[in-house]
Amino acid sequence: MLGNLHPLPKLALCLIWIGASVLVFDLRFQLVTLTLAFGLLWGLQRVALWKLLALMVPFALFGFGFLTTSVLFNAESGFALQMANEQALAAPDISPGLVLFTRALACGMVSALFALTTDPGGLVRALMVHLRLPAPVGFALMQAMHLVPDLAREMQVLRMARAMRLGRPMRRLPGPGEVMALTIPLLAFAIRRATRAALAMEARGLRPNAPRTQREILPFQTRDGLAFGMGVGVLAAVLWLV
Amino acid sequence: MPHTAVWTLRETLIVAVLGAVFGVLYLGWVQVWLILQAIFGAVTMDVVMGFWFIVSIIAAAIIRKPGVALVSEVMAAAVQILLGSPAGLLLLLTGLVQGAGAEAVFAATRWRRWSLPVLMAAGVGAAVASFAYTWVRFDYGSLAPGLLMLMFVLRCASGALLGGLLGHLIVKALYKTGVLSGLAIERDLRGAHV
Amino acid sequence: MSDVLACDGVAVRYPFAAADAVGPLTLRLARGDRVLLLGPSGCGKSTLLQALTGLIPAALPGARRGQLHLFGQPVESRSPADWAAQVAFLFQDADQTLAGFTLADELAFALENRALPPDDIAARVAQAMAQAGLHPDWMGRRIATLSGGQKQMVALTAVLAQGADLVVADEPTASLAPGAAKMMADLLLAPGKTVLIVDHRLGPVLDRIDRVVVLGRDGQTLAEGPPDKVFASHGADLAAQGIWTPLATRLRLALAAQGVSVPAVVQVADLVAHLPPHADLAPLLLPAACQSGTETLRLNRVDCAPPFGPVVLRNISLGLRAGEVLGILGPNGAGKSTLAACLAGLIPPRAGQRTGPPGAMAFQNADSHFAAETTRAECLAMGVPAADCAALLAGWGLDHVATQHPFSLSAGQKRRLALALLTATDRWPVLVLDEPTAGLDHAGTTRIAGHIRRLAGMGKTLAVITHDADFALSVCDRVIVLAEGRVQADGPARTVLRDTALLQRCGLAPPEAAPLLHWMDRTPC
Ligand SMILES: Nc1ncnc2c1ncn2[C@@H]1O[C@H](COP(=O)(O)OP(=O)(O)OP(=O)(O)O)[C@@H](O)[C@H]1O
Ligand SMILES: Nc1ncnc2c1ncn2[C@@H]1O[C@H](COP(=O)(O)OP(=O)(O)OP(=O)(O)O)[C@@H](O)[C@H]1O
Ligand SMILES: [Mg+2]
Ligand SMILES: [Mg+2]
Repeated sequence: MLGNLHPLPKLALCLIWIGASVLVFDLRFQLVTLTLAFGLLWGLQRVALWKLLALMVPFALFGFGFLTTSVLFNAESGFALQMANEQALAAPDISPGLVLFTRALACGMVSALFALTTDPGGLVRALMVHLRLPAPVGFALMQAMHLVPDLAREMQVLRMARAMRLGRPMRRLPGPGEVMALTIPLLAFAIRRATRAALAMEARGLRPNAPRTQREILPFQTRDGLAFGMGVGVLAAVLWLV
Repeated sequence: MPHTAVWTLRETLIVAVLGAVFGVLYLGWVQVWLILQAIFGAVTMDVVMGFWFIVSIIAAAIIRKPGVALVSEVMAAAVQILLGSPAGLLLLLTGLVQGAGAEAVFAATRWRRWSLPVLMAAGVGAAVASFAYTWVRFDYGSLAPGLLMLMFVLRCASGALLGGLLGHLIVKALYKTGVLSGLAIERDLRGAHV
Repeated sequence: MSDVLACDGVAVRYPFAAADAVGPLTLRLARGDRVLLLGPSGCGKSTLLQALTGLIPAALPGARRGQLHLFGQPVESRSPADWAAQVAFLFQDADQTLAGFTLADELAFALENRALPPDDIAARVAQAMAQAGLHPDWMGRRIATLSGGQKQMVALTAVLAQGADLVVADEPTASLAPGAAKMMADLLLAPGKTVLIVDHRLGPVLDRIDRVVVLGRDGQTLAEGPPDKVFASHGADLAAQGIWTPLATRLRLALAAQGVSVPAVVQVADLVAHLPPHADLAPLLLPAACQSGTETLRLNRVDCAPPFGPVVLRNISLGLRAGEVLGILGPNGAGKSTLAACLAGLIPPRAGQRTGPPGAMAFQNADSHFAAETTRAECLAMGVPAADCAALLAGWGLDHVATQHPFSLSAGQKRRLALALLTATDRWPVLVLDEPTAGLDHAGTTRIAGHIRRLAGMGKTLAVITHDADFALSVCDRVIVLAEGRVQADGPARTVLRDTALLQRCGLAPPEAAPLLHWMDRTPC
């Protein structure tokens, strides 16, 4: 459903929303944002609940530091206070740590909403068609976007090879020592993959500054405008309410 | 292969990919910082800061061309924002400033020297630039001069060690894996008879 | 000049190398020529192909000497990317041909670069997918979620969709199951196309090419001409260099050593007609009988899934005995590699139980094994004593690349290194080899077959995944056929591999030696 929308208005809307989330230092606004993103993914996009919760773990971890300092240590981290002071729209009575925690979750979920409903190829192609992004840069971005999930797969293979070499069975989750040992091979994999992709593209005729068909899968449609308008409207209503 | 200041397709891809990978690592480092900060207090930020300069140093040391340090750092910042960094959109500016600090040092050598001292100096360059930036942003003028001095020294040391030295070690380890063959670093290290 | 391709005294040397990797050699392709380049592993075939459109030296480090013309123009007059409109290039490694996007992006990529109209691109992509039998639902799939053979199918489809005047293909069918390999060879080598192809396995390509050019170990031309002439007159030379020759040629030479002489035929069917009743074929085709021991490894109703992938094999129960070699056959994407990781105990099953000692596995992609700086260091890291390393590498023909980085080896050299590392020690009671012969020349295949039987003789438990039914026949005691998520057949190799109906239903083919097996049954000895 959301996957059928044109990526550019969707991106604009998500960025506007993330911007608002950064500027509006208010717990309620962050909670509404979080709930909305979560609800869209769960209700409309039918993403499994366990997947959504798993997705929130890393974002929660980033926000967790603020929460621990503010709730457990009963003191605000200097950074959180500073961030709170910087914001024009801050409500002073709520713990900044808590706001930062929910903000990390909210921004994370909005990003996830975009990432899960957008094909990287479609996005990059839209950028190349409408914003005149040069093709080599566009494909470099596309490569980077595809790389992140492939790193996880490669890590699994590296772990198998390592377990075999060391002669001990593989654990389900890598320990800290194993992660350290895998950092350089993973970085090397990323660079090797960039190298090979560059060669593949060159061998198949990608030239900088040469005319190139920009094949766009999705044209702009009325529903894109409608969705964008609706998103901005909801944002305005929420802002007015809080 | 021709050796010009223009980035080849391969180099563009490597910068993008390194930016993406280090964007993820930087976010992990935020976590390390916050935990340490809860334990050790305010100056921790200056101690751990250097790691956030590392991609500009690694990418530049591998590719050895103008603009690499700056663009890779900005790319890493952009990835962090997309992944939901708590620092928000301002991170783009932070990345720009830090990348420019490292780039300035490389520019001073006219992108010709890549020894460990130069890489460490680039780390310090990024530290100085980021110190000036945080001065404005967090109003450091109101802090005691002694504390300021300490923070400045710590941040420069962190830039030199966590940025420059660690970056150098990672580049050396990467060189050994053979993936850098055909790049500027190999031409310089093995002599330019290609 | 009317030649599509003209090489005169072309030689290529890698940076920091003491000798040329290939050449100097002279080669011509006229329009409509379908030429097979044959040679032992490491002789420089891939290197030569990469120089043809100027990738070496423009995009890959290396230096070329000699004159090289494409369509009458010097190669260096254009960039490799500019040649892509006329020359389609399939790298030896499918992961190198593809850039790692989704299928839709990959297949259209080269056509977009030629600035063709969008409708034209869509039509060509759809046609190529239909020809190759790729399901339209795959359009949104990411390359990284495909099996090894599926990747190769997609890479080939992308190259075919390009519609270039000249196709240069490096081992296009090495990891395809026989049915798929035949189909793709038909498309790639259709009459009238101009194709330069490298392949070790002659099976699917032999009767579709006009000319074969054979390179020797030194990277220079050893023989050239129509296939039957070359194999008839140079068979012994080729065999001595470890190059694949047709089965009939190999058997003829082996029988000559037994004192049995048969005429120089290229087809197995012709050979059967000329076999004297006292010819002893069994030692040439089948493994020596082995005592298999007790059951050491058992899968009990397991479900297997690739990392981060869905369950592809359900409810598999399988027992392996010590000293037994199990062959695993099946179409591309059947889940063989997934089963291999499960058998070796490297991926825990999603459901069910695996009982048995932990094992080792030779990955389908040999690159995954390498972590060290040089070939020799790789050997030391595996726990082989320094004193034995030199002999081990020499035995596998890797002594001259001992100080080279593993990733800069040729595909066959990588495969041999990975296999050498796994078979050098006896630390693993269970060993699973995933397509060990893909990309190997005849010498390498003979060597790994010897090691497999040696380890079986020592009482190890082995499983071998292969698309080569003749190889399976020569090393396996027992064979299972995997398709549609189930074990379709399980039995002695000689029985299962002659069940033509079953094999055809699963996209496989009986071994080339099948007529000889029938002959052996008919001839009491
Ligand atoms: N990048 C490189 N640097 C140095 N040497 C290389 C490099 N690539 C290949 N070689 C060496 O050049 C020789 C020829 O390699 P090439 O890949 O062309 O062989 P090949 O004939 O294609 O073999 P195979 O059948 O195994 O694929 C090999 O000995 C290989 O080790
Ligand atoms: N991450 C994934 N997501 C979806 N499907 C996957 C994923 N990984 C693998 N698959 C599918 O799982 C199936 C089994 O893959 P596997 O690599 O085991 O096949 P295989 O039998 O070894 O094939 P081949 O002969 O081509 O090597 C394939 O159909 C593949 O498309
Ligand atoms: Mg090759
Ligand atoms: Mg496989």
